[in-house]
Amino acid sequence: MHPLTMMQLKIDDRILLKVEKPAKYTGNEWNMVRKPLDKVKMRFAFCFPDDYEIGMSHLGMKILYHILNKRDEVYCERAFAPWVDMERLMRENDLPLYTLETYTPLSEFDIVGFTLQYEMSYTNVLNMLDLGRIPIFARDRTEGMPFVIAGGPCACNPEPLADFFDFFVIGEGEEVINEIVDEYISWKEAKESRTEFLKRVSCIEGVYVPSFYDVIYNEDGTVKSIAPNTPDVPDSVKRRIIKDMDSVDFPEDIIVPYIGTVHDRIMLEVFRGCIRGCRFCQAGFIYRPVRERSYEKLCEIAKKSVQSTGYDEISLVSLSTSDYSALPDLCNNLIEFTEKENISLSLPSLRVDNFSLGLMDRVSKVRKSGLTFAPEAGTQRLRDVINKGITNEDLVSSVRLAVSGGWNQVKLYFMIGLPTETMEDVEGISELSINLIESCRDISGRDKFLNITLSTACFVPKPFTPFQWEPMDEIEVLMKKQYHLKDLIRKRTRNIKYNYHDARISFIEAVLARGDRRLGKVIYTAWSKGCKFDGWDEFFSFDKWMKAFSECNLDPKFYANRKREYSEVLPWDHIDMGISKEFLIKENQKAYEGDLTRNCAAGCSACGAQVYKTGICAKTKRGLIYGENTEV
Amino acid sequence: MAKILRFRFSRGEKLKYIAHLDILRVFERAVKRAGIPAAYTQGFNPRQKLVFGLPMSIGLTSESEYADIELSEDMEPCEFIARMNEGLPEGLKVEEAVPRNTKDNIMNQITAARYEIVFEVKEPKSLFEIHSMVYDFLSREDITIEKKTKKGYRPVNIRPLIYSVSAEKTAEDRFMIKAFLSAGAENNLRADLFMQAFIQETKLEIDILSMHRKALYASAFNEWKNPFEVAND
Repeated sequence: MHPLTMMQLKIDDRILLKVEKPAKYTGNEWNMVRKPLDKVKMRFAFCFPDDYEIGMSHLGMKILYHILNKRDEVYCERAFAPWVDMERLMRENDLPLYTLETYTPLSEFDIVGFTLQYEMSYTNVLNMLDLGRIPIFARDRTEGMPFVIAGGPCACNPEPLADFFDFFVIGEGEEVINEIVDEYISWKEAKESRTEFLKRVSCIEGVYVPSFYDVIYNEDGTVKSIAPNTPDVPDSVKRRIIKDMDSVDFPEDIIVPYIGTVHDRIMLEVFRGCIRGCRFCQAGFIYRPVRERSYEKLCEIAKKSVQSTGYDEISLVSLSTSDYSALPDLCNNLIEFTEKENISLSLPSLRVDNFSLGLMDRVSKVRKSGLTFAPEAGTQRLRDVINKGITNEDLVSSVRLAVSGGWNQVKLYFMIGLPTETMEDVEGISELSINLIESCRDISGRDKFLNITLSTACFVPKPFTPFQWEPMDEIEVLMKKQYHLKDLIRKRTRNIKYNYHDARISFIEAVLARGDRRLGKVIYTAWSKGCKFDGWDEFFSFDKWMKAFSECNLDPKFYANRKREYSEVLPWDHIDMGISKEFLIKENQKAYEGDLTRNCAAGCSACGAQVYKTGICAKTKRGLIYGENTEV
Repeated sequence: MAKILRFRFSRGEKLKYIAHLDILRVFERAVKRAGIPAAYTQGFNPRQKLVFGLPMSIGLTSESEYADIELSEDMEPCEFIARMNEGLPEGLKVEEAVPRNTKDNIMNQITAARYEIVFEVKEPKSLFEIHSMVYDFLSREDITIEKKTKKGYRPVNIRPLIYSVSAEKTAEDRFMIKAFLSAGAENNLRADLFMQAFIQETKLEIDILSMHRKALYASAFNEWKNPFEVAND
């Protein structure tokens, strides 16, 4: 079925033994899928635009790899961004980027799919296409070349990458990927043109074909309209979701890498979505509604996974594990199994209360070294603005509980540059942290004061959040706030170690996050100048990016630092994530009033996700549904 | 039947790209997948009682690695071999196993290793020329190389750690060095460091094509012994 031009590369020791961690490039891991290629009708290259050690920690890839490979006629293989040492040798030796399963160059695949987890990996996408010998621009791809597609959270504003991808998949992939494969196989059998295939998939809910839409701009550079230029293409593309988490397939036979990766363990996905609705958090909105797996199903997955992988560590994964409705049942059942099997259980993103501390005492992996809290803002006023429903008292009592339980290291995460933030709020971060140390003095023991690692990220406004209209702080302002905070802390205490993000990286991230189609040429220009691994401090080049903007005659501040009106057409307005604009506007207004919105478990606030009629939306009590009693 | 087993395993081309700690992890996971009743250490972070004879660096293949494993219940060596090999990936294979009764673990017993290193010369050389280079190399009393340590480079004289070296020709422009080197927890000389010294002293320009560990030895009463022979001393 497949063309016989297929080539399998031989990667020489003279290359592999010259690079760091050569096992990143050799595949052959435990549970890697092998298939007879003559039975395969469709070959899919799943590409992760970052290092192997990061990509192999990504749950989404494991899920789709499993779903696609369940089908005999489909073969899904993996490719990662080669690290700079390997890339140099590949280019010197004229070696194309290949998949780890069969050492086949990317250009030989039917579909090449990227996951977009982070804006700063966009240049890596271009670099991987180039290394894989696929034309970087979608318009340059001709009959017989792969279709290049993308999904993941950043696909919710696909516009900056519209020039490079044949199509995007919006939302969760488990079902829609199979529909795309079916369409591909029947299109191939029908021997139709490339455009015909794009027309076929544009009818699948969740698929966005950017070349079928025209963007018209106003004179001031804002978007005037985004509209289909092809018949039968939907005006807006609806996000796909999985309705029932217990019936959707979850991988129990995940690949076990030979080298250590960032999350080198079994990841149990407890639920999708988050009930909290913190106003800065994109994940809190674009994955709604909360849909849980049953604890019985989770325990079953855990046991089977241990058997097939041999992993000795399990981690519960979700946006906020404490909010799982059956947490005690899950933990009691899991611990019974993990203790017997010498498996350690890690429980990230738990809120600290008596229950979770007792739990942490029982699970082995949580050594008494680090606990993490994310107050996000330093003053109550600002925490109310972002709808982070915790108080100073909550924090003090949680940290006191932890310290009296033997923990003496705490990590605190904050953001600077949040809307309405003043220097007083920034100072609040150091106040709050020092206050924590002071309030634990009586219980922390003489020589073991509480030690805090304090990290601040720069707030980046993201699409589909109530802050999508907000200007980001200018780089200089962010840096001034960082230095001020650093100064304050240094003067007051030695028990706090302060880390902060590079504001210039966050600035580029902000531009890409809310950019429009015109940014494609900036990304291309930046990549041509050598930009890659932009999320890594050691590779990020602000100067190259700024040169790229000026060569393309675009002002990055227009995207990052400009306040948008509610009435402005946003570049992602034709993407329907299931959250209504009215709700986001109301949330934005409430933010300025410091007014809180209750979480989904406490009652429905009519965000729009009710349209999916599933998960927590289907459970919410009568009378609370659809916007009645929406205030706390 | 035994509670402590000593086993020999091989590592082929497919798994030579991973470091020693990664190999350890592969074995731990294989034990778990195979449902072998391993004994675990006590404490916060229980680990399998699994000890390896000598670390393997990246790129090295071997037909003769040794490890000791402690079990929580008795097991026949042949059953252990069969079950382990079901859980091990292609490229790692348990070849033999015997009960271990000695108190000394394998790591403390290994003292020497035999290597075969194949290389290609960039300018043609005769076997005679290579032989005389080996001869010159071995006649030195001091061969000092800069060894990379955690704190930077440190000079070490490796000559006392070289027991014997010979060379043969395997193909056009290709030669194989057979080296018998000191090994073990003390006084270990890795094959790649040995080759670094050889290149440094002979000024030969070569591409190393493969490094292979042929055998590991324990020593007892001034004799080199197969590690299985000392499993019950």
